[in-house]
Amino acid sequence: MIAYPIARPTRLTLEAFARQAGLHPQLVQQFVALGLVDADRDAAGELWFRPAALVTVARVQRLRAGLSLNYAAIGLVLDLLDRIEELEATSRRSGSRPWT
Amino acid sequence: MARDYYELLGISRNASADEVQQAYRKLARRHHPDVNKNPDAEEKFKEVNEAYQVLKDPETRRRYDRFGPNFRQIPEGYEEMAGAGRGAGGRGFRQAGGRAGGSPYGAEWEFHDSGIDLEDLFGGMFGARGAGGPIPGADQEAELTLTVEDAYRGGRRSITLAGPAGPRSYEVNIPPGVADGQRIRLAGQGGRARGDASAGDLYLVVRIAPHPRYRLRGRDIYVDLPVTPWEAALGGSIPVETPSGQGTVRVPPGSSTGRRLRLRGQGMPNATGTPGDLHAEVRVMVPPTLNERERELFSELGKVSTFDPRRSGT
Repeated sequence: MIAYPIARPTRLTLEAFARQAGLHPQLVQQFVALGLVDADRDAAGELWFRPAALVTVARVQRLRAGLSLNYAAIGLVLDLLDRIEELEATSRRSGSRPWT
Repeated sequence: MARDYYELLGISRNASADEVQQAYRKLARRHHPDVNKNPDAEEKFKEVNEAYQVLKDPETRRRYDRFGPNFRQIPEGYEEMAGAGRGAGGRGFRQAGGRAGGSPYGAEWEFHDSGIDLEDLFGGMFGARGAGGPIPGADQEAELTLTVEDAYRGGRRSITLAGPAGPRSYEVNIPPGVADGQRIRLAGQGGRARGDASAGDLYLVVRIAPHPRYRLRGRDIYVDLPVTPWEAALGGSIPVETPSGQGTVRVPPGSSTGRRLRLRGQGMPNATGTPGDLHAEVRVMVPPTLNERERELFSELGKVSTFDPRRSGT
């Protein structure tokens, strides 16, 4: 018989998310408002986060601390970095190297 | 470890404050761990920050110029004691002790007071700005180039990468039939965190090097099969090199160049499914020079044969 593990909750409340990110909930709320971190808003207006968004928060913090960027600039940088990654992945898959 | 700060920033010793700043900004952008996923970028980023922390302040820069990399061990008052009087306990030295924000100095420094802790080490890495809290480390990526044969066989392989404390080696297990672009995750081996957050992961991205004989398309391997004109015409069992060793292909009679013969399951192995196929592509080769007898036979064949590949419908 196969044992099935208990599924971990796939979304976090603002408080739980902020605690895991080591940030004040208000700052996390600000990140969402600035479009840096994705969150879902339920009918009651509460924010829900996917655990994967913790990676994004860490990126935001590193970019701010390391390059003295403000949050608006970080939004742009994140978008551009994601786009570059996407382009690099497609150019590797198709086009430039169909053969190895 | 302690490279010259001017050399690190790529500037001359009499560079202006603007030039210092400009060089630093450029390098910081290029080596930031979120922009550059190379494992040695993080170390470079930290060094550049260290250099800038010292050279941006005219006072510490002057002391660095004068005393070299060990300038922090020279008491602040040293020059003043020797020369004109000045207030004791200046800024630079207290900063080296490491309590106030963002001391950049790595572990290679020997401090008179033992104020250094991890926070300082990583605080320095991200400059003085990011106030306080822990920040998880960035993920890193390194390429792992394999030959077709290595990818076919898999097995253990040791790789060495630049790390925060000199080169680090990893033994990685490569599954047989690993594909180009697949990633091997080494948890916690990526960028370092600030504070007690978790370190990033290191991903080894498999790149399969171009091979003189084998071409890969997915799990299928394509290989040229050079044959003589008579082998191509009469057919036969032709030996072929495969990544697993010597194999044999049955060439049917009348095989022209371009005919593909498939060896089912002889391509790249697949741990979770069916392996790829090996496609041997016939290439008819003629002798570059003919001896007398060969010439005779070919001429005779030319007279006797009615085959004309340029006429349609043949």
